[in-house]
This record gives sequence, C-alpha cells and structure tokens, in this order.
Amino acid sequence: MKVHSAVRKAGLVVAIAALAVSAGCAKKEQGEVQAGGVKLVEKGKLTVCTHLPYAPFQSKDASGRVIGFDVDIMDLVAKDLGVEQKIIDTPFEGIKSGQDLNAGKCDAAAAGMTITEERQKVMDFAAPYFDATQALLVKTGKPYKSLDDLKGKKIGVQAATTGRDYAKKYEQEKGLQLVEFEDLAAEQQALANGQIEAAINDLPVWSEYIKEHPGGFEVTAEFDTGEQYGFSVKKGGNPELLKKINDVLAKAKQDGTYDTIYEKWIGKKPNA
Amino acid sequence: MKLRRRQRERLSLWLQYLAFVAVIAVVLLAADWGRLREAFFRVDIIESMFPTIITVALRNTILYTLGAFAFGLVFGTILALMRLSRVAPYRWVATAYIELFRGLPALLVLFLVGYGIPIAFPEREIPGGVFGSISIGLGLTAAAYMAETIRAGIQAVPKGQMEAARTLGMSHFTAMRTIVIPQAFRIVIPPLTNELILLTKDSSLAYVLGVTAQTIEVTKFGRDTLNDRVNATPLLVAGLTYLIITLPLSQVVRRLELRYAKAR
Repeated sequence: MKVHSAVRKAGLVVAIAALAVSAGCAKKEQGEVQAGGVKLVEKGKLTVCTHLPYAPFQSKDASGRVIGFDVDIMDLVAKDLGVEQKIIDTPFEGIKSGQDLNAGKCDAAAAGMTITEERQKVMDFAAPYFDATQALLVKTGKPYKSLDDLKGKKIGVQAATTGRDYAKKYEQEKGLQLVEFEDLAAEQQALANGQIEAAINDLPVWSEYIKEHPGGFEVTAEFDTGEQYGFSVKKGGNPELLKKINDVLAKAKQDGTYDTIYEKWIGKKPNA
Repeated sequence: MKLRRRQRERLSLWLQYLAFVAVIAVVLLAADWGRLREAFFRVDIIESMFPTIITVALRNTILYTLGAFAFGLVFGTILALMRLSRVAPYRWVATAYIELFRGLPALLVLFLVGYGIPIAFPEREIPGGVFGSISIGLGLTAAAYMAETIRAGIQAVPKGQMEAARTLGMSHFTAMRTIVIPQAFRIVIPPLTNELILLTKDSSLAYVLGVTAQTIEVTKFGRDTLNDRVNATPLLVAGLTYLIITLPLSQVVRRLELRYAKAR
C-alpha cells in the first residue's frame, strides 16, 4: 500500500508539472527579441533555414562550417543588424511550405530557393538575388542531348525542387521515368552509380559538381525556365527584416560586394 | 483538519483527474483551430489524393513491408539456429551479426544497401529494383531482431520434445524442423506480428533509395503532395493511411495472445 500511494503522489507531481509546462509554452510568441528595429527569434542571432548540401549556395566545408553564396549574402544582412548568422539545416519541404518560418524556427530562409507563385502565397520573398536555369547532367560520352533522348529512361530529380516540377511537366509527354531523391548528394551518387541515366538540377549546382569531378560528367542541355532565387521571411510576419534584406542586397549590388561574392562562388561575373 | 487515509487517497485521485482534464483543456483551448484546419484538413486536397494513395502508395507500402518481413523471417530463423548451434563459430558469427545490426539505424543500413552495393559491384544490380533493395535493406535489420525472438521461442519449447523426437530415431535436424520449430513459431507469432507493424512504418524509409511514380509509398506520396500543394494536409492523410494496416494487425496480435493464453 505504501508503494501504491507513492506512485500516486508521483503521478500528481507529473500532472502538475505537465500543466505548468503547457502553460509556459504559450509564452514563446511574445518573447521575440529585437536588433536594429528588426524582430528576431533568437537574441543576437539571425537564424536562417536551409537544406544542405546545395553547393555552391550552401554546403559544409572540411571543418563542418556552412559556406556558400547564400551564406555570404546573409552574412551581410547579419552584419548590418549587428548580429551573427545561425544556420539551421532542415528538410526542404518545411522551408518551401513556409512552415519553418510560420513556426518561428528561423527568421529567414536562404536555400537557393526559386521564387514561385505558390511559394509566394505562403511566405514573403525579398528581391531576387540570382538568375538560375535548370540543367541536364549526364556521364561524359552518353548520347543524351535533350529530354526527347531520354524516353523510357530513368532521370533523377531532387524532391521538392523546381527542377523536379519542370521534369514532372514533361513526364507523360516525353515518356520519362522520374526518380526522386531526397538530397542532391543522393541524386549525384545515383548518377555516378548508373542507377539513373541523367539528372536534372540547377545549373550552378552541376557546375560545382563538374568542378569537383573533372572529366566524369557534362551538362548537355539547359532549360531556361526564367527562374530567380529569393530569400524569404514569414508571410506578413516580418516586413522590417524583408526591407533590411532588400536594402542590403541593393547596397551590395551597388558597391560591388555582390559581384565579388558572385565571382567567388559561381566562377564568373554576373551578366549585366 | 485530519483526513482519514481513505479520504486522503480519494482526494489525491480526484486531484489527479482534475490536473489531467486541466492539461487537456489548456492544450485544446490554446490551439488555434482555424489555422490547424487550414494547415491539416483541406478537403479538396484530401480528395485529390484518392485513389492513388491506396492503389499505388499503400500497395507499395504493403509490398515493401512483406518483402522485408519475408527476408527477415528466413534470415532471422537461420540466425536463431546458428545462435543455438553446438558449433562455436556459428554462434560467434550470429551473435556478432545480431549485435551489429540491432545497433545500426535502419536508415543507414538501407542507404548502404542502396548505394554501397552498386558502388561495390558496378556490373550487377539488386533484382527487383526498389522492392529488392528495401526487402534486403530493412530485412537485414529485421532479421537481427527476429533472430532473438525466434531463439527465445525455440528455447521456450520444453526440452522433452527434442529428447522424445531423438529417442524415436529422428535426426537433430529433422526433430528441429518438424517438432521444435513449429511449436516455437506458435509462441513467437505475437512478437513477430509486432515486428511486422514496425516494418510497416519503416518502409517509409524507401525515400532514401530514390523512388518513381510507380514505386512511391505512402509517406513519400504524402510529402510529394505536400510539395505540390504547399499544405500539410497530405501528411495527416498519409499518417492515417498507415492505420489501415496497423490497426487490424494490432487486433490480430491481441486475439492471438488471448488464444495462446487459453491454450496454455
């Protein structure tokens, strides 16, 4: 009997603790902090969501630090706010569906993300910072010059990307067999293994990959989809940060910082 | 005021009920139901997911699960027999295998099967494509768990059974195959069914292999629809779809356990 009542007491304590915790949860929304007139989810940090790896925009270097085009630009924003950038690696679905931003997981998303109508419905995009095209990567010497050459063949795409959506549009018409991969790395590995004949992704991503594996792969087709990348913030949730990103971008384009970053990661100057 | 022990106990019990109800009420009241419905229960999206989620996605989930289960069962039985073998190296190999594969995440094993084997043997491929890879990938891990379950089952069969069979002139192998293992399996059916339920959910890991529209399973289908519609409703639908498999299975386990308890 003694044990019995002890268990009950413990149960009571747990229940009360749960009550206290659930009451405490509600406070988070009001606990936002400010830096330079901009709301941030964490004090002294510009928290940025991305999905790794996506070189040259976001990837880890040998020491495990996240580097890339996006990182450098967001660093400019963070510096302007007088805070540090903190990068969170999270599945791309959460980023593009706006849920990561809605849930207050991060202040901004910077993930080599194309601005699309659907995405604009769920988050606010800053001005475009990069013009991207989709490209077809094959092993050197393979005879695939266009989607027409790939009828009935397996083509790799990355889940939740615009390249996947582009290929999906032609799946029926051209008789393609699309294989969806979770990560860029898995898509690349499958192409290298010969599990797929070709792979579609953003051109700068393939350029970077070819640079790392000289002679093994080539881009045989480019699909100009008029895509532009944009950074985003929570829908209607942070106009101050949105303005700040736009200001920093405009300033960087004016004073040449943008060109320097572009050349550093893409390997050439941006087209005027 | 001094309460008697009985009263004290009753008071404490009521306080617990009260706290429990209060927690639920706070959570329910604090949640923003309008936003939740908008994010997780859009009827038009639910409609758009049928019938593909059943005819393709659920079908594949079931196929992957059964494939992995069959592979795990056969391999797990072999491992269990090795564990109980009188030949020491068999025991060592089986023990090492079980310890290793119980400790590795299924995701990692699946990745190694899906990408490691093609790298190691560039000229060959696993038969059956995604189905073959996932049957082996998840089956390898499942075998380690099942081996321990089956071993326990074999050991639970009274020694007298084997001794009697040997006395009647059966070889060790024949006695094992026709007398002991059938009885052992009756004992381990409930835990093995649990393993089947776990595998059902693990089959969602198929996404690491890269799947096509024909080889897609329930979770990936839900995530893809989420991507297309930029709404979380498909995740809820996909989650509930698993219950179509797992709820009847749980029921089966409960029945079997009851029957087994009676038989004893």
